[in-house]
Amino acid sequence: METVVSVFADTILITLVLAFAAFGLAIIYGLIGVINMGHGAMLTLGAYFTWWSTQHGVPFVPSVLLSAIAVGAVGLAFEHIIIRHFYNRPFDTLLLTWAFFLVTTEVIKIVFGTDFRNVPSPVDGAIDLEIYRVPAYKTIVGAVSISIIAGTALVFFKTALGIKIRAMIQNREVASLLGLNIAVMYKLVFAFGAFMAGLAGGLIAPMYSIDPYMGNTFLVRSFFVVIIGGVGQLLAGTLFGSFAIGGLETVLALFSDQVIAQIAVFFIAVLILRFRPQGVFTGR
Amino acid sequence: MTMQVQHGGHVAAASSRGGWMGGEDLAAMVVFGLLAAIPLVTSGYAVYILPQYMLLGLLAMSLVILWGYGGIVSFGQAAFFAIGAYAMGLVMKHAALPINSAYLGILAGVAGAALVSLLIGHFLFSAGVRSTYFVVATLALSIIVEQTVKSFSDITGGWNGLYVDRMTLTLGPLVQLSLFDDMPMYYTVLAVVVPIYVAVAALMRARFGKIVVGIRENEDRMLALGFNVPAYKTLAFGLSGLLAGLAGALYATHASFAHPSNAGVLFSTQVVIWVAIGGRHSLLGAFAGAIVVASLSNYLSSIEAIQEYWPLVQGLVFIAVIVLFRNGLAGVVESLFGKKRHGRAA
Repeated sequence: METVVSVFADTILITLVLAFAAFGLAIIYGLIGVINMGHGAMLTLGAYFTWWSTQHGVPFVPSVLLSAIAVGAVGLAFEHIIIRHFYNRPFDTLLLTWAFFLVTTEVIKIVFGTDFRNVPSPVDGAIDLEIYRVPAYKTIVGAVSISIIAGTALVFFKTALGIKIRAMIQNREVASLLGLNIAVMYKLVFAFGAFMAGLAGGLIAPMYSIDPYMGNTFLVRSFFVVIIGGVGQLLAGTLFGSFAIGGLETVLALFSDQVIAQIAVFFIAVLILRFRPQGVFTGR
Repeated sequence: MTMQVQHGGHVAAASSRGGWMGGEDLAAMVVFGLLAAIPLVTSGYAVYILPQYMLLGLLAMSLVILWGYGGIVSFGQAAFFAIGAYAMGLVMKHAALPINSAYLGILAGVAGAALVSLLIGHFLFSAGVRSTYFVVATLALSIIVEQTVKSFSDITGGWNGLYVDRMTLTLGPLVQLSLFDDMPMYYTVLAVVVPIYVAVAALMRARFGKIVVGIRENEDRMLALGFNVPAYKTLAFGLSGLLAGLAGALYATHASFAHPSNAGVLFSTQVVIWVAIGGRHSLLGAFAGAIVVASLSNYLSSIEAIQEYWPLVQGLVFIAVIVLFRNGLAGVVESLFGKKRHGRAA
């Protein structure tokens, strides 16, 4: 019983954290079709900004928000200077965003150094469920994750802005003929994706030790989350993809060590990618 | 919206039998001639390290087959390189046979890498997995191989890597040539790389290469024309894996070492950078690009004031190449040549 409860709680938390970490990627990939290989670096950047800011006495929550805004601004600048010229060449955007990762990682190393950094957890302790103690901070991040994803989905499906974005995805040319400024929409979506990555990076910072490559752990997993959930399926797809990846990892880690569990998950993810390239969740 | 990459006519000209091919043959003779001459005029570190860079150049060529000709980006070349390296190390360590165990190691590395790449290629291409999904799958492959060699440490040495002996050439029943010294190693590697370059260049100019380019330019049309597109893609991927495996096997015996980082994502993408800088459509450009960038990296990393900034500069150069010089060094050289040629004709 104890194991069941703990696996259940762990799976839910890992699913939500992973969904949050993947969300920025899901937005950029799903809405404007850019494979953002710099996503991991954006997470890392968010974590470092948060660390730097808390080191300088700013409380945790404003630190995370400021970091997210800063990463969003970096994303906006990157989009404006480079990416916007390459939207019709997907392979080149892939390479350019990878170059963004390389450059950002090196800048991080030069500015912040390569030592491991830690952000003290703003909320200590655990929620006692009698048979299992759920870590409190992870639970809060999980709750933030689900609210933000649901909130974004609400904007996406229930507001005028959401209709514009959906119109843009369905048919870029027609949407632009109807008076939609596609260039601005793309810019906004890219910056919002970067903002989300920064936010996730800042929030997960207290759970991990921070190093210049920490985002890479999430990069490939995030891709699989998006692909398995179905590209463009922001709400259900991201959650389901994270559940598949995170849940599998938790369950497999019961029977073997962590590394082998991860190898197995990637292996299974490639199998899914092959047999359901449109994603498990999409009915197409 | 299709994810197909469109290339300009300029690029198509580079890979067809135009006037440039004569130029590329000439350039190849210059590059390989220079490499052959280097040990005659210098000794020491350059002669030690250049064979490693030539093997990295071979690895870069393996990506050109896929990326330059086939339009398929792979972030998994390091996986095949590592399969070759570890197969070489493990066979040389454990095989006790009357025949030369290094030969068996190379064979195992090449066959292993080719087999894995053929299987994966068939598995993915036959289901129509393409473009960016393929990139993600190859990215995962790199991580799977890297984590595997890390975690089975009693076999592979884990984080510490695997020691690999310098091999000995058996040239007949009685003639043995140890490659422990740098000079024989140098010429052996050169003697492997040059014929492979010639053969691959010929293959890519022949029917096979034209079909692969055709698939890059218009996959649907090639299908409609009756070509078995997945089979050709699988073959290209297999050939690419085979060459990467060979490069890895020889690299391991040269460096006396096989390491998990040889399989890693960062190393995989380093190959992409060499090829982008050297020229994604040119076998020779990529080969030279790998040697130049690896040499520069090595040299600049030894200077204390610069070493911290070099990877940053490399990243910026990578961006500049993609934004400004889509065909890399080879493209720049080609356009210089083209102008000269044009000027003479006029």
